[in-house]
Amino acid sequence: MKRATQSTETPQVGRSVPRLESWLKVTGRAEYVHNLRLPGMLYGKIFRSTVAHGRIRRIDVSAAQAAGGVYRVVTGEDIRQLIPEPYFGPAFHDQPILALDKVRYVGEPVAVVLASDPHVAEEAAHLIVAQYDELPAVYDEVEAMTSEAIVHDTLKPAGTFPDLKHVKGKSGTNVALDFHLRRGDAPAALKKAERVFEHRFHTQQVMHTPLEPLVSVAESTESSLTIHTASQSPSFVRIEVARLLGWPENRIRVRVPFLGGGFGAKLYIKLEALVSALSLLTGRPVKVSLTMEEQFFTITKHPTTFRIKTGVTRDGRITARECEVWWNGGAYADIGPRVTQKSGFTAPGPYDIEHVLIDSYSLYTNRPPAGALRGFGIPQLVWAYESHMDIMARELGLDPIAFRRKNLLRDGRPQATGTVLRDVALDKVLDRLAVLMDWEKPFDRGNGTLRRGRGIAIGFKACVSPTTSLAAVNVSADGSCTVYCSTADMGQGSDTAMAQIAGEVLHMAAESIRVVHSDTDVTPYDMATLGSRSLFHMGNAVKLAAEEARDKLDVLRKELGLAADAEIGDIFKKKYGMQAGNVVGTGSYIPTYKSPDANGLTDNATPFWMVGATGVELEVDTETGRVRVTRMVNVGDVGTPINPKIVETQLSGASIMQLGFTLLEKMEFDGNGQLRNASLAEYRIPGFLDVPASLTSEAVVAEQRSGPFGGKGVGETGTFGVSPAIANALHDAVGVRITSLPISAEAVFEGLQGLRA
Amino acid sequence: MRREIRFRLNGEPVSAQVAPHETLVEVLQDAFGLYGARESCAQGLCGCCTLLVNGRAVSGCLYLASLAQDAEVRTVEEGKALDAVQQAFIEASAFQCGFCTPGFVLMTRQLLDEIPNPTDDDIKHYLSGNLCRCAAYPEIIEAVKLAARKRNPS
Amino acid sequence: MSPFELAEPRTLSQALDLLDGEGARPLSGGTALMLMMKAGVFRPRRLVSLAKLKLEGIEPAADGGLRIGAMTTLRALERSDQAFPVLKRTLRTLANVRVRNVATVGGALAHADPHMDLPPLLSALGARVAIAGPGGGRSVPVEALYAGYLENTLKGNELITHLDLPPLGKRRAAYLKCTTRSADDWPSLGVAVMLDGDEARLFISAATDRPTRLAAAESILKTGDVKRAAEAAAEEVHIEGDLHGSAAYKKQLIRVYLARAVHEARNAVH
Repeated sequence: MKRATQSTETPQVGRSVPRLESWLKVTGRAEYVHNLRLPGMLYGKIFRSTVAHGRIRRIDVSAAQAAGGVYRVVTGEDIRQLIPEPYFGPAFHDQPILALDKVRYVGEPVAVVLASDPHVAEEAAHLIVAQYDELPAVYDEVEAMTSEAIVHDTLKPAGTFPDLKHVKGKSGTNVALDFHLRRGDAPAALKKAERVFEHRFHTQQVMHTPLEPLVSVAESTESSLTIHTASQSPSFVRIEVARLLGWPENRIRVRVPFLGGGFGAKLYIKLEALVSALSLLTGRPVKVSLTMEEQFFTITKHPTTFRIKTGVTRDGRITARECEVWWNGGAYADIGPRVTQKSGFTAPGPYDIEHVLIDSYSLYTNRPPAGALRGFGIPQLVWAYESHMDIMARELGLDPIAFRRKNLLRDGRPQATGTVLRDVALDKVLDRLAVLMDWEKPFDRGNGTLRRGRGIAIGFKACVSPTTSLAAVNVSADGSCTVYCSTADMGQGSDTAMAQIAGEVLHMAAESIRVVHSDTDVTPYDMATLGSRSLFHMGNAVKLAAEEARDKLDVLRKELGLAADAEIGDIFKKKYGMQAGNVVGTGSYIPTYKSPDANGLTDNATPFWMVGATGVELEVDTETGRVRVTRMVNVGDVGTPINPKIVETQLSGASIMQLGFTLLEKMEFDGNGQLRNASLAEYRIPGFLDVPASLTSEAVVAEQRSGPFGGKGVGETGTFGVSPAIANALHDAVGVRITSLPISAEAVFEGLQGLRA
Repeated sequence: MRREIRFRLNGEPVSAQVAPHETLVEVLQDAFGLYGARESCAQGLCGCCTLLVNGRAVSGCLYLASLAQDAEVRTVEEGKALDAVQQAFIEASAFQCGFCTPGFVLMTRQLLDEIPNPTDDDIKHYLSGNLCRCAAYPEIIEAVKLAARKRNPS
Repeated sequence: MSPFELAEPRTLSQALDLLDGEGARPLSGGTALMLMMKAGVFRPRRLVSLAKLKLEGIEPAADGGLRIGAMTTLRALERSDQAFPVLKRTLRTLANVRVRNVATVGGALAHADPHMDLPPLLSALGARVAIAGPGGGRSVPVEALYAGYLENTLKGNELITHLDLPPLGKRRAAYLKCTTRSADDWPSLGVAVMLDGDEARLFISAATDRPTRLAAAESILKTGDVKRAAEAAAEEVHIEGDLHGSAAYKKQLIRVYLARAVHEARNAVH
C-alpha cells in the first residue's frame, strides 16, 4: 500500500519546492473569485461621482430602474435603511459603502445597478443622473495642511487604535494623524553641524494594478452571509461586516481562494461591505467585479512630499536629521494613518543618528484613496533619504557606499525610536551589493550622446506590529497532513512556505501537505496578509501548531506502547482499531510590542526588520533624456530563505514593479481631480521590454532568530532601493538630479538643458 | 438576437447561443465553464484572455464570439497531460499569482511553433503583449528556453 | 457593450448596401473597433463583417510593387517573403502578436489613430489605397485618407479593398518611433523616411493628429543638411502636448528622430 505521507528526513526548509498549486496555475484551473458564478446571481455595476468634492443634491435613478432587464438600482440612502451607520475603514470609520450626503473624489461609488446580465447593468448605469453642489477641493498633500477645503466634516477614528483617540470628533482639519518623534535635540544639533543639507522630494500617485481586478460575491439568508472575495484580509472582512450589520462573527463566512495579485490593493474592506448590503437588500447572490479602469478609483499608493534636513561633519558623520513627511491619503483614510506612523518612524533611514526629529502627517485630499502598496510607505521614504544621501556624498566628496557604511546602523545599536536592532544584516547587504556591482572596478561611462552611470541605495523597514496569527495543523489517520491558515496566497507562495514549515516539523515532504485556503468558518483568525508579515507571524503560528500536533502524536505513541518511530498510521489503527481519528495542533503568535511614548520612542517597535538594497547601471540618451536601465542588482536580508527560488522571484518581481513606479507609472489628474489615464493603454506598467537585460537578486546569509527556522518576510524588500538607485545612477551619468517621481525622459531632458544653459 | 454558433472547442464539436456583442472569452466562461482565459485589462494589452482561434493567438476579450463560427478554438484547458511548455513554466518557477499564466502558456506554444529556438530578443518581442504584474519576466524567459529544449532534445 | 446586429455579407456589393445608413460600420479585424465599443465611445447599430469578402492576400503587381488585400492581417504581411524589410521591422513592434494576428491592413489604415505605425510609413513609401463605393472605385494616396484624429476621408458606405505599394527599387526607407513611458507604449512620435537619390519623402505621426508630410524638411534635405532639415521639421508642424510629452519636448524628439531615421534609411539594407 502506498502511504499517504512518507516520513522523510530530507530538510523541507531551504529547499526550492515548486509551488504546491503549480498544476492548477499552468492549466488555468486555479480558483479565483473572478471565476465564481452562483445560481440566480445578480451583477452590480457601479455608478461613480464625476466631481471631486460636492454635496449630493439629487440622484435620479428612474431611467436606469426602468431599463429592460434591470433588477434594482441601489443608492447610499437605500443602504442606510439596512445599515444605519454604513461607514467602514481600518483606522477611521470614514468611508460610506455608497456615497452619502457628499462625494469626496472623482470616481467615488454613488449608486449600483443590479441585473442578471452584466451588459444590461453596465448600459443602465449610464442612465443614472446625479447632481452635486460642488465644493472647493484640495488635491495636494502639503496644501491640505492649511486648505480651506475640508474633506471630512469631523474625524471618526475606528477606536481600535488607541493612538487615534485624541482626534475623535475633531473638525476643521484634513490631518487624520500626525506622528511626531523626538530623539535628542535635532534643531540644536543642526545649528552646530559643520555642514547642513536640506532637500525636498516628491512621489506620485500610482496604482497596484493586480491583473485580477478587485472582485467580491456575497450570498445571504435572513441570518447568514457568505462572502467570496479576492481579499488579503478575510478575518478583518468578517469582523468589519459583522460590526456594520450588528451581527455576531459566526453568522458571516468569508472565503478567499487564490488571488490574481494583491500588492496591498485587496486589504480591509473594498467591495465586501457593498456586495453584502446588496445581497441582503435583494435576497440574491450579488457579484461586483471591477474593471481595470475602476481599480484606479478604488485604492492607490500615497503620493508624498518629504522635506529632509541633515547635519553632517566634514568627514561624513551624520549628527542630526529632521524629517517632515506629508502623506496624501486621498478621500478616505484606509490604512494611511498606520503608514504615517509605522513607516514614518523609519524616515531617517538605516543610519545611526544621535539627534532625530520626525513629523509625519496623514492628510485627507479629494483624490482616490491611498493605502498600502508593497512597502507600506517605505519606498516613498527611501526615495527621499537615499537620494539625499547621494547628494550629500557627492557634495562632501565621499564615495556613496563608503559614506553610507560610515553611518549605517549596526546590530545592537538603537534605531530612531530607541529600539535596538537585532538580526538586521544592513552591513552585510551593503557589502554584498558593492561586490555584485563591481563597485571598486573601473566603469565604462559611455560617450557621445550615450552616457552611462551607476548608483545604489539601501533601505529598511520595521514590520508592522503588533499583529496576530493563528493556525491549525491536522494530521489524519493515514498520516496525511493539512494546514489551516487564513494567509491569502496572492502569488507570494505562502501556501508552499507554510507547507515547508509544517513539513520540517513533522518530517513530511512539503509537496504532500495540503494547505486549506481562507474560510473563516474553518481557518483561524489572521490579522491580514500584508507588510511581509505572514512568513514570520503565520509561519511561527504554523510551526507552533505543527509542533503541538507532533507532540500529541508522540504522547499517543507512548500511551499506546508504540516505538518512538512508529508510523503515524499505526498510532491511529492501534488507538481506534481502524483508520479513524485525527490529531489537531493549534498555534497562535503575537510578538511583544511597546507603544511609543509621547516622544514617539519605544524600545520594542517591531518584531523584525527587513533590509533591501539595489544597485543600478543605466544609459542616458542625452538628446532625448530617455533612460534605459541595463543592469539591476537587488540584495536583501530575508533571514533564512525558507524557499530560495521563491525568495529570489519575490525580490526580482518587487524590483521590477518598483522600476515601473520609478520610470513609467503615474496617475495623471487634471485641475478638477479628473484622472486622465485610467487604463492600461495610458497607464503603462512594465512589460518584457522594460526589464533590465541583466537582473540579479540575492539574499545574504542571515538568520532571524525569532522567525520560523530563521525566516522572515521578503515580499516588499525588493522595492526599497530601486527608485533612488536609478536617480543616483542618472545623476552619476549626466549630472541631472531628479527629485520627483516618476523620472520621465522629458524631465531628464529638461535637466540636461538646464545644465547646458 | 441570440443565434447559435458551432465551432470546435479543444477538439470537440460544440455549439452555443450567443448575442452579437458577446466576446469569445465571455462565452467560454458562461457557456462552457472554462476560466483559463480571463478578462483583465479589457483592451487586448495584458494577454490574460489569450485564446487560439484557428491556430492563431487572439485576445479573447476583443474577439466577437459570433466570428468563431466554424472555427477551431483552443484554450489552456486543452489536453490531459502537461506539455513541455507547462512543465517548463513549473520547473523555471515562471509564475507567481498565476492569473496571466494561461496566456503566457498559449503564447509560448505559438512562439515555439514559429521559432523553435528563440533568442532572448525573440522571446521578449513575441511575448511583449503579455503582462505579468508579479513580474516573473526573467523566469518566463528561462521557461521558454527550457521548453524549447524539451521540445527539441539534442 | 450595447447590442448590435452583425451582418456577414459574401460580396462587396452586399457589403456596400449593408453599410448604407446610420450606425452601420465595417468590421475587419475589430481590434480597434472593439475597444471603442467597449469604452462606449462608439455604439453601432450594425456591424458589417468583411471576413467573407475574400479581400485578403499579397500579390506582386505589374509594376514590380505589391497589391495587398485590405483584409490581409498584419501578421501575414509581417511573415510574407514579399514584404519589404522596412515593413517587417515596423510590424515587429506594432502592438502585439495577438493584435497583428487579427488586425488587418485595411483596418489599420482606416482607423485613423495617429499613433499607428503603418500610415506614416506607407505614406512615405508612396502607397495608394483602392476604395470601393456605390458609385464605383477610386484610388487615393495613403496620406489623403486622413482628415484628423480618428477621422478618415472615407464616406460611410465606402470600403478600402486593397493597398497598392510601388516597388522599392533603389529607394531606401526607415521608420522609427519613440515611446516615452514603457517600451511598447503608444509612440510619442513616429518618423518615416524614404530616400530616392536626392529626393526624400518625410512623414511624421503620433505627435500630430494625422500622418503629416514635412515639405520644408524634404526640400532642405536635398542639400544634404540633415541637421537643418530636422530643425525645419520641428518648426513646420503644429504639435499639442499630451501625456506622452509637452509640445516643446515632442519638437525635440522630431529633431532627434528625424535625423536618426534619415541616417538609418541611408544605411538601410534592402
